[in-house]
Amino acid sequence: MSENLPPAERLLNLVIALVNTTGRMTKEQIRAQVAGYDDAASVDAFERMFERDKETLRDLGVPVVTVTDVAHGDDQGYRVDTDAYALPPMELTSAQLGVLALAAEFWQGQVLRSDAARALTKLRVVGATPSATDAVAGLAPRLHPAGPALGPLLDAAHERRVVTFTYRTASTGEVRRRTVEPWRVIGSRGGWYLVGHDRDRAAPRVFRLSRIEGAVRPTGEPGAFTVPDDVDPRAMVTSAQRDEGRTAWLAIAPDRAGALRSRGLVDPGPPPGDLPAPPAGTDVVAVPYTRTAELADEVTGYTDAVVVLGPATLRDAVVRRLEAAVAMAARVEEVARG
Amino acid sequence: MAERTPERLTRLLGMVAYLDRHPGVPVEELASHFEVSVEQVLKDVDTLWMSGTPGYWPDDLIDFDAGSLESGVVRLTQARGMVHALRLGTREAVALVAALRALREAAGEALDPAQREVLASTLDILTAATGDAAATMDVRLSVTAAPEVLAAARTAIAEGRRLHLRYVDAADRVTERDVDPWRLLTGDEHSYLQGWCHAARGERQFRLDRILAADVLEELVTTSGDAREPTFVPNDEHAVVEIELDGRARWVSEQLPVDATEDLPDGGLRVRLRVSSEAWLRHLVLRLAYDVRRVTPVASARAVGGAAERALAAYRTPPDGALD
Repeated sequence: MSENLPPAERLLNLVIALVNTTGRMTKEQIRAQVAGYDDAASVDAFERMFERDKETLRDLGVPVVTVTDVAHGDDQGYRVDTDAYALPPMELTSAQLGVLALAAEFWQGQVLRSDAARALTKLRVVGATPSATDAVAGLAPRLHPAGPALGPLLDAAHERRVVTFTYRTASTGEVRRRTVEPWRVIGSRGGWYLVGHDRDRAAPRVFRLSRIEGAVRPTGEPGAFTVPDDVDPRAMVTSAQRDEGRTAWLAIAPDRAGALRSRGLVDPGPPPGDLPAPPAGTDVVAVPYTRTAELADEVTGYTDAVVVLGPATLRDAVVRRLEAAVAMAARVEEVARG
Repeated sequence: MAERTPERLTRLLGMVAYLDRHPGVPVEELASHFEVSVEQVLKDVDTLWMSGTPGYWPDDLIDFDAGSLESGVVRLTQARGMVHALRLGTREAVALVAALRALREAAGEALDPAQREVLASTLDILTAATGDAAATMDVRLSVTAAPEVLAAARTAIAEGRRLHLRYVDAADRVTERDVDPWRLLTGDEHSYLQGWCHAARGERQFRLDRILAADVLEELVTTSGDAREPTFVPNDEHAVVEIELDGRARWVSEQLPVDATEDLPDGGLRVRLRVSSEAWLRHLVLRLAYDVRRVTPVASARAVGGAAERALAAYRTPPDGALD
């Protein structure tokens, strides 16, 4: 009756069977009786299928528990407890569902997108119909992508498990394996950060997720550490951002680049001594920034209205862009002449 | 295109539990509630109808009122015990709670008291249901706009009224324009007002920190942002520019309102754009300098090259030019 039943339908039948069973079902019973498992070609194929399905269900918040029947020796059976998977009693108005839909929108284009969408599906069950009212119409959130490290770090932080990952240090570029107790992940001002206890340095540290190379791996047991009460992860990130933040010294032609001027520091202090002199008639403005490429794109757009005095990395980035533009124009002329 | 197994399973279980709470729900309503098509709802109902406890005799199966379904209403008559909503997993809870917290903190000023109340109550309910799971993540949004600009934008969006903006763009021009505001895009680094610009006759995003002033006008908005398609309406006043690009600049055809895109055999592409301002075009071509192969009319590229040449001259001045 169930030739090649799609996985979602097999899993659905498994959950229904394990919720309704009196006591438990053994693997043999599951294979013989639950729709979808009878097409497993061999015992091995069935075992693999069943293990994978249990994993999928656990990820969805439906734990399959193992029940050992004393009367049958070490003979194991399985069951799903509705108490273990049920959402606590709650009701959501349509306006509240609207807010949650907006919250889920945060994660568009991110690793957590499917988690947020699934959460919303679950919450719709306890939501009022219709969910059409959009309580916060006109507010659409957007975040910079956090990358693949976010999911594993959140899981580990929740379980209080130690993680290891390869990390490229911001200041020196040194690449090393780090062992960290993950306390909290913070997204702020376009960057994503992990705050935790660095076991090698025996001190709290802030890591930028974009500098993590390769996979984040949990090691050891859950509950391996506690987050100290006296730390302020937010303050640590703010301070780390200040350290990685830089100041661009720009010479701006009169009345030009209003957007850059508006971000200029009111009291930037004295410019570094090695700064070249600004072209005659320009104003020197100090603009804070974190990403060289982004500011270089913006400055290049003003062409000769803005000259970068420093730092050299920004200056070089702008010069490279301008040279590329000159080369492009020459190339295009060439092509046009045939 | 095919839906992933966890998503489908979550909805199938969710639908049974939902229908157990709501006796008799019109198919269309069910579809819009779970944000799927009517066709998908009917497929899901068919699947549920054939699912149940081992044996799979009629009494073992999840059941619906067939007559009711024929008249377009889904009425569950047997849930086989699947009446509970699923609790949220760790990542699921964290994702939503962190987003709600960030909204409450950053967008507070952009919301009226009733909206703030909805946000706060939702957060309370979710926090109560998920415990401390959400303490592991923290997201901060930045809404760096003048409070009066934000207030005007909020009022205009809520009342569907047009806005008059004074705006300084990336090309450094201060312009005045009338805009139909659609939504505020709240980001972790910058926030934007998205809407229809009547001056440019196109969809535009205005960075909030570059809006110098905003006034709510009497006129009602005449466009809406619901359509997901590019909404640029070409008109004869706009110069037509054709740019041939390397494949890695493909985002241009996805993010800009291009008139036409043609894929080239080597993976490159040719786009046709209507350009309302020289400054905008210069900015675009500068940004694409590495990827541009050909520009028609060629004068546009020449102008960009000339401007870049003048800019480079400033960098070639000897650094000891302190004689000024």
